[in-house]
Amino acid sequence: MNSEKKSKPLLKQRNLFKIIRPIFGVLVALFLIWRLYLVFIVQNQYGPETWTRLLISGLIIGGVYSLIAIGYTLVYGILLMINFAHGEVMMIGTFAGYFVFEAAKSINVPSAGNPEMVFANAFPALSILIAFIVGMTAAAISGYFLEKIAYRPLRKAPRLIPLISAIGASIFLQNAAQLLFSPKTRDYANPEVMSRGNGWKFLINGSQVTLTYTGVFTFILSILLMIGLFTLVRKTRLGKAMRAVAMDKNTAALMGIDVDQTISNTFIISGALAGAAGVMWGLHNGLVYYFVGFLPGIKAFTAAVLGGVGNIPGAMLGGMLLGLVESIGPTALGISYQLKDVIAFVILIVILIFKPSGILGEVLSEEKI
Amino acid sequence: MNNHPLRKSFQKGLVFGILMVFMVLIGFHVIAATLASKLFGANVLRGAIPEIRFMTYIHVLFGIWAGWSASGRTGRTSNRIFQGLVTGLTAGSFIALFDLIMNYLIQTGTDVRWYLSALSFENMDYFLLNLGQMGTIVHLGIYTATGLAGSALAVFIRSEAVQHGWQNLKSNISTFITRINETLPPFVRKYGKYIFYLIVLAVLFILPAQWGSYWNYVVGMVGLYIIAGIGLNIIVGLSGQLSLGYAAFFAMGAYSVGLINAPNPHHLMWGFWPALVIGIIVAVASAVVLGLPIMRLRGDYLAIVTLGFGEIIRIMLKSDLLINFTGGPHGIHDIHGPKLFGKPFTSDVDYVYLIFVGVALSIFLYDRLQDSRTGRAWLAIKEDPIAAQATGVNLQKYKLLALCIGAAFAGLAGGIFSARNQFTGPNDHTMMVSINFLCIIVVGGLNSILGIILGAFALKGLPEILREVENYRLLAFGALLIIMMLGRPNGLWPSSRPLIEKGDCSQIEENKTDEGGKNA
Repeated sequence: MNSEKKSKPLLKQRNLFKIIRPIFGVLVALFLIWRLYLVFIVQNQYGPETWTRLLISGLIIGGVYSLIAIGYTLVYGILLMINFAHGEVMMIGTFAGYFVFEAAKSINVPSAGNPEMVFANAFPALSILIAFIVGMTAAAISGYFLEKIAYRPLRKAPRLIPLISAIGASIFLQNAAQLLFSPKTRDYANPEVMSRGNGWKFLINGSQVTLTYTGVFTFILSILLMIGLFTLVRKTRLGKAMRAVAMDKNTAALMGIDVDQTISNTFIISGALAGAAGVMWGLHNGLVYYFVGFLPGIKAFTAAVLGGVGNIPGAMLGGMLLGLVESIGPTALGISYQLKDVIAFVILIVILIFKPSGILGEVLSEEKI
Repeated sequence: MNNHPLRKSFQKGLVFGILMVFMVLIGFHVIAATLASKLFGANVLRGAIPEIRFMTYIHVLFGIWAGWSASGRTGRTSNRIFQGLVTGLTAGSFIALFDLIMNYLIQTGTDVRWYLSALSFENMDYFLLNLGQMGTIVHLGIYTATGLAGSALAVFIRSEAVQHGWQNLKSNISTFITRINETLPPFVRKYGKYIFYLIVLAVLFILPAQWGSYWNYVVGMVGLYIIAGIGLNIIVGLSGQLSLGYAAFFAMGAYSVGLINAPNPHHLMWGFWPALVIGIIVAVASAVVLGLPIMRLRGDYLAIVTLGFGEIIRIMLKSDLLINFTGGPHGIHDIHGPKLFGKPFTSDVDYVYLIFVGVALSIFLYDRLQDSRTGRAWLAIKEDPIAAQATGVNLQKYKLLALCIGAAFAGLAGGIFSARNQFTGPNDHTMMVSINFLCIIVVGGLNSILGIILGAFALKGLPEILREVENYRLLAFGALLIIMMLGRPNGLWPSSRPLIEKGDCSQIEENKTDEGGKNA
């Protein structure tokens, strides 16, 4: 008798926590249906040209998010640590690319037709290539030293400690950039051919849609880099070592893998990808300042969680999805464009509540789960 | 044989050289010299460049530091001094290379301030001690000499004779203190703790009236951060849930008081005290709404979700969607202060007393909670959730409780904050604020009241006092966090109880992993 009485409230308690999630889910779904109904059926003011535009910009930004998210996912898969300073690594890449373009703009290459010709306009492909190489190298180097200075000594510490250290590194890098380059916002000096707004123009439904060169370039390059990374992780010795270390560090060490070196390489690779993403960000969005890496960094982490942390295809998928939702979402739900960041964070929360392992599932080392 | 230590001192010299060049690039050498000149009593206007000799002092100090750190703790004396020399020479050469570039810039008159904002001609000249090309050679000389001197100093101070004398002095002082203790009457010895508390209370009661309003402002700020820090410590330190969105709860308190007690946008004017209570309730309610669905998440996921929650709240407060309700990006102005027995709070002194009461209340509550059944349940959850659940602790209930109580503290601090500033806006509640709170408790030491107080003073009070370094505050803050985590991960003033327990556990763990694989 007595024990039954005691067990009853315990059951009730559990039920309370259990029904919270379905209730929350129903509420979210109802809200979504209501807004979509309002926008698509009641108002119906946007034609296909608007959706095409949003789709294009979503895919482009999604490619950039994917590249950054891969960096998060690689590091999280191996160290189970949120590399909070990853967005700042991207910022370093953006600045490095900026300086390359500034230099290319200031070098004079007089030609027969045009004595005022500068390097950036005379050899646009070459200067973009140099910008990417320099940006990726700078970001990779900073990623390497970041790991060596701020994370490596803390590898065995409780989880909170490296996270705080990462937050410290993020604050440090942001403010170092602010003090070095001053807080002002600068324009990215693209070569003339690639200037923002230039692109293929076509008509949909009687209104003009522009497919910008920078956007197409960004998208294609991000896809290429992702394919390259995927091959690297799947096919090469280094990728094999990375996967082994991600699975189990001790056993990997017993198999003759240099764990420290592999982790360093992971940071170098993720830094290079973030650097490329940074230069793309600069080329496409055109602004560079010390805070440029922060929001993309947070959102890319969201993307990584969305696809399943530790899962490289998941990060790619998550980045694309997040870019699309962020671009199409505000219009489709009929809310102000100011709130696009809110949408990203709400997606994060909803995903974590209903499927914490992400869309494609987590791939994490067994020892720490 | 000698190769390895020499390479190490070479690397060290390079690090110090890079550090110095970085300091010049951000313009910190001028600020450092200004601070040095203030130390010597000179009065330097803000933005003006101090005398040349202070820059020389900075060079000398930096060189001695480099030499000191290069000289190891063991080995032959001549070797150690030689290592200092190598370090000084390397740092000097690196800086000399940089000098050559600066000289080139000065001579060609190239203005690079568009790209490197701190590298003005005056700053460069000042760094070169106004010597131009000669400065390069002087730098090389200074750093070589001071590297040598620094290592010699380190060898001397670390030598056995000096260390022995130092130990003697320390033991003499401690015996002296115990002797004084013994001579005290037994009454004082027994109740000494309480007498000390009384004295502290009396000082806290008298001081605010004597200080200027600036000091009251700084101390009030620190007090608010202590209240919020204690609240966050309940969430992070006791129950082990990492939260990066604590500013959201702070914003709940601040905005509740603002909306209820300001003429715009609603003109409710219910008075401060009901508003404060409502603010606390709203903060707790938001904690329940956030906490209920996410209680099952793993540690770092929780961190990122709370971060997202904090950002959502901030963006919502700022957005046009709620502009009629919250005042949008402009915030709420003219928030009315509290009235006690018909007397309105007018000066910072009144608020400092209010904050002191708040701090005392939160310390009391924290103390009672920590040793209660609830507090022990939290600690159990933090140490091992599965074991805690097995012993009958309801995980979700206690985690949610911790979040709610922590949020209540934040609501309290936020309410007082907005009333004292008479203003609150979305920029008072950015993610930096959340991270500030977290840093205070981590730097001070988790689960330790004294640590939190110390952390709040160090991270919030010191930068307010050292106004010259204002621009460099966050930079130092970031560096400090990394250095603290590397050197003293348990904080400035670690708590005693969990450290002992955890210390044992981690040793066992370490032994286990050592057996598993030494290479890992």
